[in-house]
Amino acid sequence: MASPVEQFEIKEIVSFGTIGDAPLALTNSGLYMLVVVGLILGVMSIATRNVALIPNRWQAFGETLYEFVANMLRDAAGKEGMTFFPLVFSLFLFVLVANLVGMVPTAFTITSHIIVTFALAMLVIGTVVIYGLVKHGTHFFGLFVPSGVPGWLLPFITLIEVISFLSRPISLSLRLFANMLAGHIALNVFATFIVSLLGAGGLVAVLAPLPLLMTFAMVGFEIFVAALQAYVFAVLTCIYLNDALHPGH
Amino acid sequence: MSGLGKALRFSAEFIAGVIAGAGVGWALDQVAGTSPWGMIVGLVLGFCAGMLNIMRAAGELNRKPRSGRSPGDGRGGPDDGAR
Repeated sequence: MASPVEQFEIKEIVSFGTIGDAPLALTNSGLYMLVVVGLILGVMSIATRNVALIPNRWQAFGETLYEFVANMLRDAAGKEGMTFFPLVFSLFLFVLVANLVGMVPTAFTITSHIIVTFALAMLVIGTVVIYGLVKHGTHFFGLFVPSGVPGWLLPFITLIEVISFLSRPISLSLRLFANMLAGHIALNVFATFIVSLLGAGGLVAVLAPLPLLMTFAMVGFEIFVAALQAYVFAVLTCIYLNDALHPGH
Repeated sequence: MSGLGKALRFSAEFIAGVIAGAGVGWALDQVAGTSPWGMIVGLVLGFCAGMLNIMRAAGELNRKPRSGRSPGDGRGGPDDGAR
């Protein structure tokens, strides 16, 4: 019987040789990233092809997505936050489509690898740190010094705030990765039960529809989680970007 | 947000704090050569940072139902401030 983590295995599809000791290849992960980007580009270019005052269905879809992300960004980071709209919109769509593509049976889920989600999170935090330092200079470090703390506690609190800030990319990536990994393993385990029960034969095989029902329910739940986690990722990105824009509070 | 979602959210916040604290402590150890101590202190501070993260996350969840919170004015027309 296949192991439930076999679905996360990275396989080389086209090998381009090696750089030093590191292999250079198009893997199934890379292929699915290309598929995800291709899907987004395709749908978005259809949505913006025949732009009219009265939108057709594709354009209305594109505008709904735009409005959704723009409102989220304005709520969290204010008007100035719209500078980062391209970044947040791309991140949201990439994570959302990657999660949803992963829900297609036998497809590979790129966001179930922590290195992928960590790279995305580091992109966000890198933007926050660089933009914050360029825009506000040393005033940016005021983020780590909360107001209204007694003097003798201040060094401790500042240290803890610094560690809390460093933990942001980790928690951002860990949450997305853990949700996708746990969901896909659970789905796989329940689906495997069906086969095992049927294979047992006799009276036990009558029970096989039970895990089938459970798998059915979980697919719906996982699609919900896929969308929710993309939303959470984007919202937290907006909140962190707000710190870069207004480090005062 | 569902119960499972909350659990995953809070655990991720806490674990991230501990990992970051331990990482900082370990890195200090490597630079300063104070082998076990940096990591021990880092773990404790990371624990504190993780707790702080959880309290912040819980505060965010509690604040949500009230809504109406929007730093900056925002809420303009569809194309407002897009450029």
